[in-house]
Amino acid sequence: MNNLRQYLFFGFMFVISMPIIAAPVVELEIRDHLFYPAELVIPVDTKVKLVIINHDATAEEFESYELNREKVIPGLSKGIIFIGPLPAGEYPFFGEFFPNTAQGKVIVK
Amino acid sequence: MLVNSVIIILREVLEAALLVSVLLVLSQKLQLSKKWLIYALLFGLLGATFYALNIQSVSLAFEGVGQEVVNASIHIILWLTIALFIISIRNREHSKVIYSTMISCVALAITREGSEIIIYIQGIITIPELTMPVIAGSIIGSGIGISVGVFFYYFIDALSFQNSIRTGLFIIVLIAGGMVMQITQLLIQADIITSQQAIWDTTLLLNERSLVGQLLYAVIGYEATPTPIQLYAYIITLIIMLSLTIRTLRCFTIREQV
Repeated sequence: MNNLRQYLFFGFMFVISMPIIAAPVVELEIRDHLFYPAELVIPVDTKVKLVIINHDATAEEFESYELNREKVIPGLSKGIIFIGPLPAGEYPFFGEFFPNTAQGKVIVK
Repeated sequence: MLVNSVIIILREVLEAALLVSVLLVLSQKLQLSKKWLIYALLFGLLGATFYALNIQSVSLAFEGVGQEVVNASIHIILWLTIALFIISIRNREHSKVIYSTMISCVALAITREGSEIIIYIQGIITIPELTMPVIAGSIIGSGIGISVGVFFYYFIDALSFQNSIRTGLFIIVLIAGGMVMQITQLLIQADIITSQQAIWDTTLLLNERSLVGQLLYAVIGYEATPTPIQLYAYIITLIIMLSLTIRTLRCFTIREQV
């Protein structure tokens, strides 16, 4: 019973401590099938919460082979992707639905 | 834009087309009715439309990772129904279970892949100069995907009873493996599973960007830079699915000897 109480206590502590260690937030916007900023700089070995806001009426798919990420961002909406922790380097990404224009990269340093 | 839409649509269609063709040919070999496909397509189209219409609210749910949660859940249920299908065909008296698993597999696959196609086309069709290339690309892409499905159907159909069941189930096992890769990927992306460094990089061997890489990704979950969790999950699912398959195949061998 004591053990159970301990587990519950630690579980509770874990849950309430989660927002404190939350990942830094980086915003990426889509406008006219272009990414702004086209280059995102994030710290090395750090998990980052990437908030992608799509101002276009059309959906876009954020895709990056280097980051192993793929997500549809509906038109006039937003989505969140967690990336990292990553070693220093450059990680290109693109909008799969408009790959000719929607391009960018994450620079980790 | 044309080539791009061919690839996008083909990637989405391929997995469902393969699943349909293998389940159809297994129905044929097990002397089951193929009427289930009508229900599966109907439920799948309804599901895909419903999902696509609600994509905005899904995206915003669960603090912005609603899509990952919903997609991972779809894949988990799909994985379970595949396992149940492999078990249920051991005994043809379980035909109700067999039909329900086949309907649910195909309907879920179409819901997942079809919704992305609807979202893609729905958005792009509002841009007049892209309408034609995207419609043409979609027709070509789905045409190729369905052709691959038809090819597999006749290829497996031409095999002997034992070999057709073996090949069909083997393809299903690979699809289930791909599903697990996607589940782990989605959960990592949503930060539900902790992210890890990749254990290897086979990009030089087979680039995920290449056409073959993309198609293998869509069907068997090819990943050039898998993380340890993904690799373990993949190995475990292969062990589970293969042992279920081997037991099922044994049932068929025993029955044939009797």
